[in-house]
Amino acid sequence: MDKSEIKSRVEKVTALVLKVDPKDISPTANFAFDLGADSMQSIELIAAYEEEFNISMDEQKAREVQTVEGAVEFIAGYVK
Amino acid sequence: MKNYELKDVPTPNLLEDMFPYSLPPLIEFEGTIHEWIDGKNVEFDPADVRTRDIHITDTTFRDGQQARPPYSKEQMVRLFEMMSRLGGPQGVIRQSEFFLYTKNDRETIDACRALNLRFPEITGWIRANKGDFRLVKEMGLKETGMLTSSSDYHIFHKQNQTRKQAMDQYVEVVEAAFEAGVRPRCHLEDVTRADLPGFVFPFVQKLERLSEQVPDHMKVKIRLCDTMGFGLSYPNAAEPRSIPKLIWRLRNEIGISPDRLEWHGHNDFHKVHINGASAWIYGLDALNSTLFGFGERTGNPPLEGAVMEYVALKGALNGVDLSVITELAQYYEKVIGTQLSSNYPFVGKDFNTTRAGIHAGGLRKFEQIYNIFDTAALLNRPPRVAITDKSGSDGVALWVNEYLGLKGDERLTVMKVAKIFRWVMDQYEKDGRMSSITDQELEEQVKQQLPEYYNKYKKN
Repeated sequence: MDKSEIKSRVEKVTALVLKVDPKDISPTANFAFDLGADSMQSIELIAAYEEEFNISMDEQKAREVQTVEGAVEFIAGYVK
Repeated sequence: MKNYELKDVPTPNLLEDMFPYSLPPLIEFEGTIHEWIDGKNVEFDPADVRTRDIHITDTTFRDGQQARPPYSKEQMVRLFEMMSRLGGPQGVIRQSEFFLYTKNDRETIDACRALNLRFPEITGWIRANKGDFRLVKEMGLKETGMLTSSSDYHIFHKQNQTRKQAMDQYVEVVEAAFEAGVRPRCHLEDVTRADLPGFVFPFVQKLERLSEQVPDHMKVKIRLCDTMGFGLSYPNAAEPRSIPKLIWRLRNEIGISPDRLEWHGHNDFHKVHINGASAWIYGLDALNSTLFGFGERTGNPPLEGAVMEYVALKGALNGVDLSVITELAQYYEKVIGTQLSSNYPFVGKDFNTTRAGIHAGGLRKFEQIYNIFDTAALLNRPPRVAITDKSGSDGVALWVNEYLGLKGDERLTVMKVAKIFRWVMDQYEKDGRMSSITDQELEEQVKQQLPEYYNKYKKN
């Protein structure tokens, strides 16, 4: 799966879970500060990425990811 | 000033010599304790408890029953049997005392004897009255406690006696005990509010002179009854409230050996357990206690707390089976119908339950962070989380993993339980819930949200 597809799907899932307009989601957007994710939504977001890409991520490292582009990079390490 | 340098270490120092986790945290001492008595510096070596034959005596069926509805005979026999297993074959729970006054009291003693248990030994309790002594003889007991009140509050205002009259009466009953071949145990009621040099010490010296006529196994035992919980364990507390001074004088000025001294406390000032443990440390061997501390008014030293203290002081179980504490608590709640407070140490429903998400996070990562010792192995009580809006995703994940029995890499991440976490939070944020989530509700959530795990680990 190429990175553009990962990016597109990450943005779709992020908009859905955080209930934000997709056009507000930039690569450098910070989940907490820019997109308003609270701690519960952060967990739900990671869970939704796992479901979307059918992967199981390292919990600790996944919780350290803060931006959309960071999520794309992190997920790219799991998907073939 | 001393300069302390940070030691940045590659691996954690968990102080496992003191916190072995496989046992309750060990109590270790450094050096001696100093007490000021009659202008002299007196030293106590607290490490001496490691080698002395410290033990526990029980008064669940005597003092413990004075504060609650009576136990049935069957309940007492069952509790007695469980105490025997708790204390183990070395008799850490050495004796248990019984009333002798009613037919039910006497039938209960017979039923306990019929169990043929070595420990606890059965002893009696009577008032200091020669007439009552007949009951001890009839039951064939080797030892009996007898009420020998020692403060002027009791002697003058309860017994309407002079000190001499009281002492003469007590001595008469002790002599009757010797004649009958029964070991007397004098309960110095209200000793922490008594005139020690004016009554208590002369009385005890008289008992010592009487004891010179009998073999060692018959010599008078002394129970120090802190009837109103006035005793103080603090170094240099004034007499008569000072526990260290009282024990020191009895041992060093009157010459009573530690095996003939016993502490009996009450919890009126929240000092009951630590006073009992301090009495051990300051030089007597027997700590009198009751199951879960039930006793007159605020209660007595809790027996299960004394057992835990024993293990911590000795650094070994010495035959004690701590899991029986859990059995005893369940028996009180399910059969006797006595509810123990949920935050009661070692047995309460919540004693090792955390509700805080940040604690649950710690428990998930490394159980020892928030569990006092291996409560699963020693008490059959693994640490738990109770789920509320404060539990966080870590708390929910911990609960689910414990429920499914998942270990190591099998354990589910917080992401896997995110939907259950959302359901929990909605209960509070959307529905305005005020109570904890029950185990049954969480089980239902696991069934709904994680059916593959439920079917694999819980079905059948």
